[in-house]
Amino acid sequence: MRLVVAECTVDYRGRLEAHLPRAVRLIMVKADGCVAIHADGGAYKPLNWMNAPNSLVEEPGRWVVTNPKGEELVITLHRVVSDTTHHLGPDPGLQKDGVEAQLRDLLAGRPELIEPGLTLIRREYPTDLGPVDLLLADPGGGTVAVEVKRRGEIDGVEQLARYVERLELDPRLAPVRGILCAERISPQAKVLAAARGLGTTEIDYARLRNAGSSEPTLF
Amino acid sequence: MRIRADRDDLGDVLGRANRAIGTRTALPVLQGLLCEASGNRIRVTGSDLEVTVRTEATVEVLEEGVVVIPGRLAEQAVKRMPAGQVTIGTNDGDVEIVGKGPRFSLRQLSVEDYPALDEPDLGGTEVDGDELAAAIGQVTVAASTDAARPILTGVLFETREEGLRLVATDSYRLAIRDLPGVGVEGTGLLPARGLKELPRTVGATKVQVGLGDREGLFSSERGMLRVRMIEGSFPKYQSLVPDRYPNEVVVPKEDLLEALNRVALVAEDHIPVRLTLTDGGIELSVTRQDVGGESEHIPGAYRGDSESLLIAFNPRYLADGVGAVATEEVSIQAIDGLKPSVIRGVDDPTFLYLLMPVRI
Repeated sequence: MRLVVAECTVDYRGRLEAHLPRAVRLIMVKADGCVAIHADGGAYKPLNWMNAPNSLVEEPGRWVVTNPKGEELVITLHRVVSDTTHHLGPDPGLQKDGVEAQLRDLLAGRPELIEPGLTLIRREYPTDLGPVDLLLADPGGGTVAVEVKRRGEIDGVEQLARYVERLELDPRLAPVRGILCAERISPQAKVLAAARGLGTTEIDYARLRNAGSSEPTLF
Repeated sequence: MRIRADRDDLGDVLGRANRAIGTRTALPVLQGLLCEASGNRIRVTGSDLEVTVRTEATVEVLEEGVVVIPGRLAEQAVKRMPAGQVTIGTNDGDVEIVGKGPRFSLRQLSVEDYPALDEPDLGGTEVDGDELAAAIGQVTVAASTDAARPILTGVLFETREEGLRLVATDSYRLAIRDLPGVGVEGTGLLPARGLKELPRTVGATKVQVGLGDREGLFSSERGMLRVRMIEGSFPKYQSLVPDRYPNEVVVPKEDLLEALNRVALVAEDHIPVRLTLTDGGIELSVTRQDVGGESEHIPGAYRGDSESLLIAFNPRYLADGVGAVATEEVSIQAIDGLKPSVIRGVDDPTFLYLLMPVRI
């Protein structure tokens, strides 16, 4: 990871044209070639970025980043405040928020609690739109996509509907139905889920946690 | 009240007191820090009534007084000031935080609403602060975080002839740490959550420890940490520890920890890690139906009644215990695959971690 703090102007040409006027910013060049330009605010989104694969050419006072799609990012460096490189090593990946991830893992071990007869195919099943929390097989030969939330709201229903639509395209999985699992599901989410042909199941997290714990204890 | 001090010193004194402030407090005023300025000192108190932290710093007191400031906001405001002197003072119902240029004006909280936190005189015994913090760290890994069983969320402080003993258990594992020669008087169950704050709040080379009927008090030159005791009877743990183990394997701690770190990529709490204790060390393996598995050999020394012994554990609990061992070599002592095993440091009688195996 190379971190450069510099007073710079940035010009992007590609899907559109964008210009960042002269200011001090953080330029990150990641090990995989991604380049991101950050301001001193906002939690996650860079002001401008280029995803790998990229080609970075350093000229005096000017960096030119290009990619195979023909996009170009030109960073003009007026003053470099700091330029450091760190080796971060392999990343263990993102761990989800405690309750939600635990709920997902407990349900993976006890899928019959979502619906009798269901068996686990895979956790975090990848789709083009992101991983679906649980992919289960039902006894009738169909597939069940399960989205696990701490609180089931309308956006969770929308998310699940998109996954189901995507998974349906895979003939190995079809027919696919979806179930939204959460500790609490709002009435609006239940209505929308029913309208979209999706199921909803409320899970008692505390009971599931105790039921799921078959580990012997000391006392 | 009005005081002036270096930004970093002020940020530190507020930040440490803020460690006691909970995210969900019954009283809104407990989101605030009670600041008392007199002489040339400021005393800052944060509390959620279960855990109370009082920190102190030498400052320039321009006007003595008492105020309750919004805790986290004021800390962040101070820390984001330009380097140099920062002034905190009251002005017409607001708290003003002023640096070289920037000026925050924040709403005060009511001093009258802030609960009276009397200061019991518990006496106290001076102990090595670093050793105490390390010992607390070794046992709190075994404490439960499940509020449904509050007794198991605590650490038992027990005075014995030989010294102080700390014990914690969540019913799946039990950690015991002896501090020989530490003569703290009294016995009580203190919440692990509060004890974990010791190094970050008032931790110092020397710490005074006092145990009363209802609370434990830890104080140093950096301030005071007070934790309310948990009421109830701690499990009778002594009988849980077997007196002999026919099987034992000794392996380097770091090798085992690294192996468990690799196991964690595949395993999760409910997927047991299998250990075969055998001549030459440990054969370790894990299998998860929907993901795959991992296996490896950890060289070590084994002695036992049988040629080999298969035993399985919750991988996280095992890693917690191994990580808490303070020596370079770790010993796993087992009776069989069903009875509790012991993890301890080689030639270290002061720490013991009892772990229940998982059925396979």
